[in-house]
Amino acid sequence: MTPPSMSRRRALRLGGLALPVIAAPTALTGCGTAAGAGGDGTLRVAQPTDPTTLDPHKQGDMASMNVLINIFDTLTTRDVSGRLAARLATSWESRSRTVWRFRLRSGVRFHNGEEFDADAVKFSIERVLDPKTRSPIVELRYVTSVRVVDRYTVDVHTTLHDPILPAKLSLFGGVIVPPKYLADVGDAAFAKRPVGTGPFVFQSFRRDRELRLRANRRHFHGSPGADRLVFRALPNPASALAALQSDEVDLVTGLTPDAARQLSGYAGVELESHRGVRTAYLNLDTTSGPLRDRRVRQALNHAIDVPLLIKAVLDGKASEVPAMLPRGVVGFDASVEPFRRSVRTARRLLAEAGHAHGLTTTLTASNDDAQVAEAISGLLDRAGIRARVDLLDPGTFSARLTSDNRHALGPIYLAASTAWTLDGASMVQSNVRHDRRQSRWASKEADRLIDAEELSMDPEDRQRAFTALQRLIKREAPFVPLYQQDIILARTTRVRWTPVVNGSLAMESAEVRA
Amino acid sequence: MTAASVQPPVTVGKPKSGLLRHVLVRLATAVGVLFAAATLAFLLVRLSGDPVKQLLPPDATAAQEATLRSQLGLDQPLIAQYGDFLWGLLRFDLGDSLVYHEPVGQVIADRVPATLELAAGALVLSLVIAIPAGIYAATRRGRAGDTGVMTAVLLGQSTPPFWVGILLVLLFSVRLKVLPASGYGTFAHLVLPAVTLSVYSIAVIARLLRSSLIDVLGSDHIRTAKAKGLGPAKVVLAHGLRNASLPTVTVIGLEFGGLLGGAILTEQVFSWPGIGRLTVEAISHRDFPLVQAAVLFFAAAFVIVNLLVDLSYSLLDPRVRAQS
Repeated sequence: MTPPSMSRRRALRLGGLALPVIAAPTALTGCGTAAGAGGDGTLRVAQPTDPTTLDPHKQGDMASMNVLINIFDTLTTRDVSGRLAARLATSWESRSRTVWRFRLRSGVRFHNGEEFDADAVKFSIERVLDPKTRSPIVELRYVTSVRVVDRYTVDVHTTLHDPILPAKLSLFGGVIVPPKYLADVGDAAFAKRPVGTGPFVFQSFRRDRELRLRANRRHFHGSPGADRLVFRALPNPASALAALQSDEVDLVTGLTPDAARQLSGYAGVELESHRGVRTAYLNLDTTSGPLRDRRVRQALNHAIDVPLLIKAVLDGKASEVPAMLPRGVVGFDASVEPFRRSVRTARRLLAEAGHAHGLTTTLTASNDDAQVAEAISGLLDRAGIRARVDLLDPGTFSARLTSDNRHALGPIYLAASTAWTLDGASMVQSNVRHDRRQSRWASKEADRLIDAEELSMDPEDRQRAFTALQRLIKREAPFVPLYQQDIILARTTRVRWTPVVNGSLAMESAEVRA
Repeated sequence: MTAASVQPPVTVGKPKSGLLRHVLVRLATAVGVLFAAATLAFLLVRLSGDPVKQLLPPDATAAQEATLRSQLGLDQPLIAQYGDFLWGLLRFDLGDSLVYHEPVGQVIADRVPATLELAAGALVLSLVIAIPAGIYAATRRGRAGDTGVMTAVLLGQSTPPFWVGILLVLLFSVRLKVLPASGYGTFAHLVLPAVTLSVYSIAVIARLLRSSLIDVLGSDHIRTAKAKGLGPAKVVLAHGLRNASLPTVTVIGLEFGGLLGGAILTEQVFSWPGIGRLTVEAISHRDFPLVQAAVLFFAAAFVIVNLLVDLSYSLLDPRVRAQS
């Protein structure tokens, strides 16, 4: 049986699909180009929004980070295979429970000629922590100070052992800024003309128009593949795709599967999907109502046919997540298998729990996830679980998600997290341990395992804790783990680029055919 | 945005001092309107949610939220925040954007040229098409030409602008590659957004002009003009159009006010860097100072346009001048 939401989804899509039909794909090949074509080593990238600010320590969103990661360098980085790699730090080690030592690259200069050294690292990290900066970056919450050991060595001191501190320094809090330049020009001027050590040098920015960068020929990784890098904010996916087709941009990022589908079959445009780590799941309120019964929670997991959901709603551009941790992050254990999807098993479990005639509940979601939520409601209905979908605007949804009232989003809500640190700890830090803000699960065993993976200095101990935690999640079913979403790109054939699994748009490796 | 009513004709005393007094009264009223709009914006935006929740990621701790809230002054009592806001308003200091970390006056000012350009472009286009269309339809009332023109404009009025915009992009940018699909800066960039935005205004203006003109064309002075032996063109343009223009001018003014702030969908489709798009983003971020400043901008735009429309009556209607 097809869930009721599927036909509605198709109907909704008709409007979007009608347009490419009118545009006659075959007529697009070999046409002349519109104004503003690249063709000269310029790479033009479209993402849905502009950076909120160009001061890397005053932003905490991926759209800003996507631009800034090209102007600035971080202490560590992720390579294309997702491994933590050296950047401005060449190596790092845990010196004690509360000290991480980083050795730094020598001979690096900021774009204005200022030298990069340990003082710049101390200044940058302490600037993030300084209340006057009003930084929205929260990952460095255990860091207390940075001590300069010598010109190219720093010790980062923390209150607790933070096993994933080096991973946390691969984006946001790991960005290094030039202390002398900042002291000279002040925060406001720095945000208008940012200076970093990164592979591209800032040229100009007009909000909602374009942001221009040029190649940093003296970067320690050599000259980047593109001579110039231009970012444009195109909030409407149909407009972004039209801009790609009319040769106004070379690469469109942040696409939904629906938007991407409209482009399939166009000549001169290539669609790519890469594994990402944005992970969607249902959070179940195990503290009240029928969801207190483990059998009901297991029934939900059996009823929601995640592979069908991925195929029907996400056009296959996602992979099933068995127990909250997505593939590719530290802690993922492939031996933990997803629930067997079976409406019959779901009905049996419900009957055993005293709900032979099904039950009625509410599924809350953000408007952005409306299609997935409605499809899930349809899948649940097949097992006799009537889940009314309650959609909220994204702002209200996130406000309720982080409110002190843990029941603010109702018995079941659809959430998604991007574990950009590529460590399982990021995925389960807020929603498992009973005293964390989004947790609706009281399990002593789960609390113990979270403590073990968060505080252990031994990677093998951490992995054991993660494995046990995933098994426990499978058994107790406090969530319905769903899928990790692919990163979808549309690009012209003159561009070659492989995104990093953390989802950032570091473009130094992109190649552009002139 | 379009709910403002048609203004009654102005009654003024001595031509110069009366007009001046009228302008001063209207300006004083405008200040009152702006104050009320600012107060409403201040209160409503605070009912809509908490910017700290939007600024910090979901895994922020309560302590981190409290720290940022205090740094932004949002932990102060509402009345204290309102006092700060009014004091800033008196000094023309609307504060810094919580998201962009720039003075909101600057953020808004950056968008004004694009917003004005699009609104003016769309209005000019609307007038160039709607006025001849309205006259044509009125003079052929009930005939095929009238039905054809009115059906066409009604179709335009009932079509969502984002759909028109995307169709135009697909035809002129993707297929013919003669105009850019999005962006800002040259005349070519203006064409498609202005056309998209004008479709609705054309319908409103043409339909109103048609019905006003039909009313006027049935009146005694038109019969007299015809009896004098004036040609049909002179009767319609010199005697009919002028009398039919009063309500039309009011609506054109209101349409322009609406175009200044109501172009959100068009701005989204064409990635036009206007104030509408900025405001939507500011609301979704719960960027209090920016939302307040945007509301003030829209209120000021409407007040100014209304004032200009009001003053234009004395130029258009001899009876208003006679009363003066």
